[in-house]
Amino acid sequence: MKAIRLRAMKPLEPDSEELERSGWAKIGEPFVIELDHTDVFYNEYVNLTFRTDRWAIPGAMLKTKVRDAEQAYLQKKGREKLSRSEKKELKEMTAKKLRRQVDPATRAFDLSWSLNEGIVRFFSHAQKPAGLMTELFEKTFSLKLIPESPYTAAAKLGLSKAQEAAWQELEMIALGGPRERITDEAAEEE
Amino acid sequence: MSTSVIESSLDAVRTNLADRIELRRFVGRELLLWIWLESELFEGTLGTKEHGELGLWLEGRLQLDEGKEATMIKGTAPGLHREAKESLLRGKMPERAQFHLNFGDHDCTLVLRGETLAFAGLTPPKKEKEEPVDTGVAPPPRPKRKANAAMPAEIEHEGFFDRMHFARDVEALITALYRDFLALRLSPAWDATVVPALETWVAGGAVDVDRYRADRDRAVKRKLS
Repeated sequence: MKAIRLRAMKPLEPDSEELERSGWAKIGEPFVIELDHTDVFYNEYVNLTFRTDRWAIPGAMLKTKVRDAEQAYLQKKGREKLSRSEKKELKEMTAKKLRRQVDPATRAFDLSWSLNEGIVRFFSHAQKPAGLMTELFEKTFSLKLIPESPYTAAAKLGLSKAQEAAWQELEMIALGGPRERITDEAAEEE
Repeated sequence: MSTSVIESSLDAVRTNLADRIELRRFVGRELLLWIWLESELFEGTLGTKEHGELGLWLEGRLQLDEGKEATMIKGTAPGLHREAKESLLRGKMPERAQFHLNFGDHDCTLVLRGETLAFAGLTPPKKEKEEPVDTGVAPPPRPKRKANAAMPAEIEHEGFFDRMHFARDVEALITALYRDFLALRLSPAWDATVVPALETWVAGGAVDVDRYRADRDRAVKRKLS
C-alpha cells in the first residue's frame, strides 16, 4: 500500500517543467488520488486506475499568444529584434500563463491485477498508455510484466513434452503457396 | 483488454523469452483462421468441454495482412466475402477479427487480435430491468444514494466488477478454444485433417464436415483425457 501511495497521481502544476505525469488513482474515480486499502484491494484483486495528465495547449493558440507577447516586449523595449534566449523565455512564460487558464487533459484506464493468477488486465490497447503503465507498475511493485501473446498463453496452459517438441518445430501455414506454384507452372506452359 | 503476465510465473522459460514470443506470434493468427474455418463448417455453432455449445461467427470486421499489405473487410459476414478467401490465397492471414459470441446468458461482439490474443470492443450485455408490477398504489420514493458515504467497495464499483467478471468469462472461453486449437495444431491431426480441410475450404470446395468433426473431436479429446 505504501508503494502504491508513493506512486499515486500528483496533479500537474502550471509552473512545473513537467508536461506529462502518470500515477495511480482510485478505480473508477480517476480524480480520487488519496488511496486507502479498501480502494485498492478487493478479494484477491488489486484494482487501480492508471491516470495520465498532460498539458494540451493547442499549437495555434500558443503561437498567437507568443507572437502577441513578442510584439508587446519589443514595443516595451523599443527594439526590432529578439535574441534566441529571449524568444525561448517568452515562449515558456506564455505557455505557463496559458497552463494557468486551462486544465490538463486527463486519460484514465482501469487495471486489475489478479494476485492468484499472476495476471494484470489493462483496459486499453493503445501502445503509449500500455508502455507508461508497464513502467509505473514495474517501479511500484518491482515486478516485470510480460504482455500476453500466443507463446505466454500456451505456456500458461502447460504443454506436454510431445506438444513442446511440436511447438519448437512450428511453421506458419501457407495457404497460398501451392496454388501460386501451380499458377506459375501453368503460366510457363502457356 | 490486454493482459500481461507477472514474469515470475514464466521463470522456467525465461531464456530468450523475447524470441520465443516474437517467433510464435503467427500461432494467434492461425487460431483466428481456425475459428473462422470451424464457424463456417459448423454454421456458427462451436463448443468447448467447459462451455458446451456456443455461438461464434465472424461479424463486422475482418483484417488480413501480410507484411505491409493489409485488407480490411467490413460487413455482416466478412468471412463469406469473396475477397476474404482470395486474401488467404494471396498469403495474407487474419490479424484482427470481430466475432459475434453467444454463450450461457451472454450475447456480445468482440474484436480478437491474433498476435497478442487480446480482445477489444467487448461490451457486457445490458442488465434487463425488471418490469414493475402494477399494484394500483404509487411505489414509495427511492432513497437517494449518497456518493461514497460508507458504501461497500463491491457496491460502489459494481459496474467495474461486472465488466471484469464478464471479461474473465470471455477470456476463459478464448483460452478453452485456444487449448483445443493447440491440441490440434500440435498433433498429427493438424496435417492430416485440418490443413486439407483448410485448403479445400479456402479454394471454395466442399469439406466433408462430418468426417472433419469426427477427426478433430478425436484429437481434442485425446489431449483432454
